[in-house]
Parts: sequence; C-alpha cells; structure tokens
Amino acid sequence: MKLLNVTNRYYIIIAVALMLIGCGFLTYRLLYLFDKEITEHMLYEKQIIDQQLYEEKHLQHLNFKFGDHIEVQPIDKFTSFRVHLRDTEMYDPLEKDVVAFRILSYEQQIDSSGYRIKIRRRLTENNDVMYGVLVAVVLISFNMVLSFYFLNRWFSIKIWAPFYSALKLLKNFDLRKEGKLQFRTSAIEEFNRMNEELRKLTDKVASDYRNLKEFTENMSHETQTPLAIIHSRLDVLMQSENLDEQQQEQIRTTLDAVNRLSKMNKGLTLLAKIDNNQYADEHELNLSEVIEKHLSQLDIFIEGKGIKVVKNLNPKMRVKLNPQLVDILLTNLLSNAIKYNVEGGMLKVSMDNAGFVISNSGDAPSLSSEQIFERFKRGGDKIDSTGLGMAIVKKICDYSSCEISHHYFDHMHLFTVAINPGKVKVN
Amino acid sequence: MKILIVEDEKDLLNAMVDYLHQSGMSCEKASTLEEALERIDLYDYDGIILDIGLPDGSGLKVIEEMKKKNHQTGILIVSAKNSLDDRLAGLNIGADDYIIKPFHMPELVARIKSVFRRRSFQGKKELVMNELRVIPDEMMFFVNDKQVPLTKTEHDLLMFLISNSNKVLTKESIAEHLWGDHADMADSFDFIYSHIKNLRKKIIDHGGRDYVKSVYGVGYKFHSE
Repeated sequence: MKLLNVTNRYYIIIAVALMLIGCGFLTYRLLYLFDKEITEHMLYEKQIIDQQLYEEKHLQHLNFKFGDHIEVQPIDKFTSFRVHLRDTEMYDPLEKDVVAFRILSYEQQIDSSGYRIKIRRRLTENNDVMYGVLVAVVLISFNMVLSFYFLNRWFSIKIWAPFYSALKLLKNFDLRKEGKLQFRTSAIEEFNRMNEELRKLTDKVASDYRNLKEFTENMSHETQTPLAIIHSRLDVLMQSENLDEQQQEQIRTTLDAVNRLSKMNKGLTLLAKIDNNQYADEHELNLSEVIEKHLSQLDIFIEGKGIKVVKNLNPKMRVKLNPQLVDILLTNLLSNAIKYNVEGGMLKVSMDNAGFVISNSGDAPSLSSEQIFERFKRGGDKIDSTGLGMAIVKKICDYSSCEISHHYFDHMHLFTVAINPGKVKVN
Repeated sequence: MKILIVEDEKDLLNAMVDYLHQSGMSCEKASTLEEALERIDLYDYDGIILDIGLPDGSGLKVIEEMKKKNHQTGILIVSAKNSLDDRLAGLNIGADDYIIKPFHMPELVARIKSVFRRRSFQGKKELVMNELRVIPDEMMFFVNDKQVPLTKTEHDLLMFLISNSNKVLTKESIAEHLWGDHADMADSFDFIYSHIKNLRKKIIDHGGRDYVKSVYGVGYKFHSE
C-alpha cells in the first residue's frame, strides 16, 4: 500500500469518528438551546401580557394581539402567581398530525377578578434537529475529506518528489556502469540526509565491486604467464631421456593440475570480461543453425555414450545476441547435457518463440536448482570440471538479458533459456 | 628446420626453445620487436613463432616486414586468450595460423610443422616415414603404397603423432588437439584409446609396423624407428 493511501485511510477513519461524535454533541447542544430559547420566549410573552393587563385592565384585544396561541380564561378564585410549564402532544390542524407543544400556564389577578392564562408553543421535533445536524456535518466532513485527499496528493507529489527521484536513481543503479549517483538536493533535511547516506552506501558498494573485479582481472591475467611457463617446462621435462614410470606419472599429475588451473583461469577471465562489457556487439544469428553446429561437433561424444538426440528446432527463429557468448553458452549447456547424461540416455533440444530448452536424462541432482549456477559448485564426483561452466552460463544469460532456470522432472534435467522477446525475430 | 621464436617472456621463450630443440629444430630467440626485426633482416627462417604483444610494439610489424621481403617463411601467431582482433589482423596480413596461450608444447610443434609443410612442400605436399605416407591436404594415408581409409579424427590423430614422433604425448594434449574446447568432456580419454587402437590396427593390418606405444599412466608415444 502506498504511503499516501495509508495516511488517507487514517484521515478518513478519524474524520468519520470525529464527525459522529460531533453530530451527537451538536444535536444535544442544539436541542438544549432550542428548549431554553422556547421557554425564555414564553416567559417574555408572559411579561408582555402581564404588562398589557396591567396597563389596559381588560383582555379584549389580547387574542388579537398575540395570535391564537394564547388562551385567557376567567377563573372564580385566584390562588397563586405560580407559573406551570408542561410539555404535551396535541393535534395540529395545519400539520394534520399530532405534534409536541409546550404550555405555560399561570393565573393573574386584575381588579380582583382572576384569569388563567395559557401560552402555547410548538416544540421543535428532536428528529428534525438531528437530521439537520447530520446533513450539515456530513456535508462539511465530506468536503473536508475530499479536500484533504486532493491536498494530500498534491503535497505528496510535491514534498515526496526528491524521495521518488532517489528511488528511481537507485532502481537504475547498475554496478557495471561507471559513474556516481547524483541525488537531487531538496529543501527537506530528512531527504538530504537519506540521500547522503545512500550516496555513501552506493559509492562504497561500487568501489568494493571495482576492487573485487580488479582483483579477479589482475589475478587471472598475471597468473597466465607463470602458468604457461610451468606448463611448457613440464612438457620439456616429460621428454627427458631417463625418467622412470613413477617420475613420468608425477609430471603428468602436475600437468593435470596446471591444466585445471589454466581452465579455471580462462573461466574467471571470461566472467570478468563479460562484466567488463567486452562482449557488447550483437549480431543476428540463426539459433537452430548454431545449435546444429554444436551438436555435430559433439557428435563423437553423443555416439560414444549411445545418447539419443531429439531435436525440435525452429529454423526461422533469429536472435540478436553476441555470437561468441552464444557459442560459449551452447557449448557449456550441451556438453553438460552429455557429460551428466547416462549411458543410452536422451538429449532433447527444443525451441519455441520464447527461447530454448536443453534437457537430458540424468540422476537426481545433488545440488539445488539455484546452487547449480553458483561458482565452484560441482554436481557429483566429476572432479575434472572447473566448477565454472554453469556460473558462466548464468552470467551470459544475465548479461544478454535472458533468463535461465533448471528443473529436474521425470529423470530429466531441464535447462530452460528464456530469451528477451526484444531480441527474438521469427519470420 | 630453423625457427625464430619471438616472445617477451624470457622463461617461456627458453622453455619453448628447449622443447623445439628436443624435437630436432634449431631455434633462435628474440624477446623484443627490435630484436625480431633485426633477426629477420639478417637471416632466413623456415618458420616464425610470433607473440603479438611485445613490450616495444606490436608483433604484427614483423609480419609486415616479412611480407616486404616476400619470402616463404611460415608464421604462427601466439596470441593471448580472446584477443581475437590481433589474431584476425595477423591472419589478414599474412600469418599462416595461430595458437592460443597457454598451449601444450606438442600442439605448438604440430602447428609449426603443419605451417612449415604448407609453405615449403610446393606441389609435393606429402609426408613420408618408412612405409607410411600421408597427404595431409587431401586426408589420404598410404601404408606400403596401399591406401588406408581413415576417419577425420584418425587422420588428425596420426598427423599429431607423426609431428611429435618419439615424444611422450599426454592424453590431455591429444584430447585438446582433437577436440579443442570439448577436450574435457567426460570419457574423452576413452575415445582417444579407441581411436589409437583403431589406427594401430589399420596400420598393422596393412603390413605396417606397430609405431604407437602406450606410456603407462601418461599417454602415448609414436616411435619413428
């Protein structure tokens, strides 16, 4: 959930809660005030009536002056000045309904004759008030929430802009590309602090990466010559006249080790070169032709192991990739599929518009599908492998924006390479 | 056979000289471009083994000079791994072949001999050893003047063995010669064994001698006597 939606959600919840409390309070207050106002008004009317009675001494015009809500009746005997207030319900001919009224009644004495005076006032309906308040409050709250929402959006776009720009920079951050991240300076201190820390972090990561890369490069480059010297010296030594079998065998094992070291060296150099963008040029290739070429080169090993090859190739598919990398990728995948195949097993190569699958019969893997692509992870007891083949495959796929995955299913190893659709052409 | 080896790494240069010497070639050394240019100006060689990356310039200069002299020296480029551009440039201006560092010495010998053969045996491009005769370009093989059909692998194997006769060849160097990058395939040594067996059988069946001996735990040796 977006930060904005989270805050908006809280805003709305709080607004609704406040609105409900406000409604209740407002209704209560209004009812109280209306009530008080009516009573006060009635008492005021009483005062006017009393004054008139006092001045005019008769009640003939009272009805006319105050309307029909005032009732004056002569009484036989005046008892007290006490004022009575009571609420009642009566039929209202205008509303044609029973409505609530408040009646103020008292007795008055004018020239020794007594009168009972009743003032009647219609009471406001509680429901009406509540309804009115609710409508008003809901309208106000709705407007507030709405303006909050839009204001918030506007603020968040404006205020969070440096954050999103930093996020975008980080997303596009690529260790392989040179250059430091240039964060936008913002007026907000927190963002500037965050950017500063991010800058330090990415600079550190980049420099560590560079050092590591340099180390690998130097290591593999600088060991080449000494390895070549050891190798050639051993070749010379091997031809010496008076070697016994044991000595010859010792030279051979040393040669073996040097060979392995050279191959590892070659693999590491290749990995470093891919990282260094040295295989950037891409050409259009007919993938099925390349696969056929590699299969024919491996023919002798396929036959030797009695492997059955099943091909399902699409000769119309063309891919735009680096030819050298494609060669290395296919060599590694295909020779792997033969190396780890079983006697009389199967090797399947199938293509579709999304990529290709190379599958082979084989024993259940001792490594997980993820581990297979890690450096120096070897499956089984094939010590003569460098442990780099699959790491190279993975690196090539990553570099060429292809995706490789491994599955083991029904005694078959499946290596699926999904080629970036932008690099595939079928016609 | 007189060879000039141009290589800036002195230890490697000496090792190469020693090995080629063992193989019966006479070698001269140059470890800088200047030295190399001086040598080819003064002497003629049957072959030049040339490292492109020299401290005082590109080895390609040597090929250009040789071109100007217009003589029949075979040139084998020794290039560092993956420096494809140098290799192509070298082949374009007149080098005959290339070999990638690091290499097995028998491979170097086989390559330089093959370059030499192509350059020198004008018209008569065949190789004779006692009762054996090979025409490499046409992939033809004769024992006692009777043609023996060989597969491509067997032919490659035979040429490699003959080029390195009387030398102990490790299985690795044979595998790498025959299958290059695929040499480390599982069972490739078993394949070598069966190819050697077939080749031996074909030679003996046609009245040839048993030239190929296995060297216990190491590989094979082709005895020319």
